[in-house]
Amino acid sequence: MKPDPSKLRQKAQEEQAAAFEQTHPKRAALQFASAEEAIRYDAGETAVPPQIAQRLNESIAREPKPAVSWWRRWFSRDTRE
Amino acid sequence: MEEPLLSAGAGERASEASVPPAPRLDWASKEFGAIYDAHAQSIYYLTLRMLGDPTQAEDATHDVFLKAYRKMHQFRGDSGVRTWLYRIAINHCHNLVQTWHHRHMVNNVDNVVWETTSAGANDPLRVLETKELGQRIQKTLDTLTEEYRLLLLLVADEKLSYQDVANLTGQTADAVRGKLHRARKAFAAAFAKFA
Repeated sequence: MKPDPSKLRQKAQEEQAAAFEQTHPKRAALQFASAEEAIRYDAGETAVPPQIAQRLNESIAREPKPAVSWWRRWFSRDTRE
Repeated sequence: MEEPLLSAGAGERASEASVPPAPRLDWASKEFGAIYDAHAQSIYYLTLRMLGDPTQAEDATHDVFLKAYRKMHQFRGDSGVRTWLYRIAINHCHNLVQTWHHRHMVNNVDNVVWETTSAGANDPLRVLETKELGQRIQKTLDTLTEEYRLLLLLVADEKLSYQDVANLTGQTADAVRGKLHRARKAFAAAFAKFA
């Protein structure tokens, strides 16, 4: 017995639709209970530009070394002698 | 279940998904590098939303951490490091905003409208693209007073208590709760307008 071509077509369409659903999942609506929740979500999605760390590294490298207090110098001299 | 106040469509932020990871910090003080790693995201976000400009936020975040590095020996540990960094960031942003206001004579008269608007404040709101959410939140925050904007941004940080927020904004925790209620309403009303 030959299968009904219309049923075959329908089955193929259903399979195609299922495959599409898998590769293109429906967008679920995001829901926020409050302003803070929306802000928190937004904050989580916001990436820190990597160049800030780079610039900070350079800026800190240019910073003068912290001064050594007189008593540290004194004790370090004592230990050398 | 409580009715959601704000809703938005899910999706990816294509522009941010491709951001390369931050370079490993090789600062003299390893401790300071750890501080940066732990708090840079929060400080950058605060400056971004307070100043409304990514380039300015980048500069501000750099300046905040550089100030913190210079003042690390003055940090007494009375508050948490995060609160201390927030304080530096708030003062920095406040000074910048004040300078701009004086320079450009900006008067945001619309704040009065948002303050008194209540219609639709509790309606669920939809955003089709998540990537639009940031822009919409920025526009919304821009309509609020600096005080409300700051309150919402700080309270959104779950690592801060109401008392921390109160200390940072120079008021009592009860005052924070009261103002927060009005700030939320103003935010929701403005958010709806930018749909």
